[in-house]
Amino acid sequence: MKQLILTVLAVAIVATSASAQQREMILPVPQSAYSQAVKIEGGTLVFLSGIGPADEKGVLAAPGDFPGQGRATWENMRRILAKAGGSVDDIVTMTVYTTERRWGEIFTDMRKEVFKTGYPSSAFMEARKLKTPGALLEIQAIAVLKE
Amino acid sequence: MEYWSNGRAMKTVMLTGFLLCLIGTLHGQELKKEFVDPMPQDSRSAAVKVKGGTMLFLAGHTASLPQVNVDHGNFEAQFNRVFDKIKTTLSQAGATFDDIVTMSVFLTDLRYIPEFNKLTREIFKKGFPAVTFVEVSHLARPQLIMEIQPIAVIP
Repeated sequence: MKQLILTVLAVAIVATSASAQQREMILPVPQSAYSQAVKIEGGTLVFLSGIGPADEKGVLAAPGDFPGQGRATWENMRRILAKAGGSVDDIVTMTVYTTERRWGEIFTDMRKEVFKTGYPSSAFMEARKLKTPGALLEIQAIAVLKE
Repeated sequence: MEYWSNGRAMKTVMLTGFLLCLIGTLHGQELKKEFVDPMPQDSRSAAVKVKGGTMLFLAGHTASLPQVNVDHGNFEAQFNRVFDKIKTTLSQAGATFDDIVTMSVFLTDLRYIPEFNKLTREIFKKGFPAVTFVEVSHLARPQLIMEIQPIAVIP
């Protein structure tokens, strides 16, 4: 009996440590589609390069069209995160660089479409220029994969 | 004494020990690292995936103090000063350049990117970190043309 209890206890500890990863969105701001912080323990981290609206050959998508470039950028994010074994839902934080602050509201609407299981923390700012010529936005994200 | 002579009790101890080892492994700090979509021509990876290890969040490093006698107009001189300082910071934490998983590179002119990539090729020998380039109007001091903010994961 003692053995059984010990075994069950030990298995429970193993199971807990393997699936301990629980993310907590701290102070979510649903109207702006971000959280002030995301708290998470353990897991596999994925640090993404700045991802913009260029395809794999470096050709810019939707010149001059912010919503179009936004969609292309999220497609690239999905593709790279899939290669890392994750998805956009795994993003815990991101810094969004744009060439014009006025795209902020459109980008907020995009975040509402993209994130269905809780909002990551996010910073949004205007940069003078981005790496891909003609790019209107670039996203630098960190993801924590679900175990 | 009686307890240890009990076969079942012994088995329990062994089983528990085994499971504790398993827990130890799961909690282990051993680092697993994968470069996702490496782009050597751009001296970066689309992403870097890591599990375990110890994280080190560095400040934005510039060619500023304590050494001011840098030829600030020379990109390579400023680059070398910045990476010297990053190396010093990393070594204080027991880390090396190879432990950098990502870095934000703030430049006052993105036309320096090709030169930057050429120089980082000499720094990262075991795989390229994720990199984000951003052109900014100004850095903390007028003479600065770059600031680099890395994150490292130490095995």
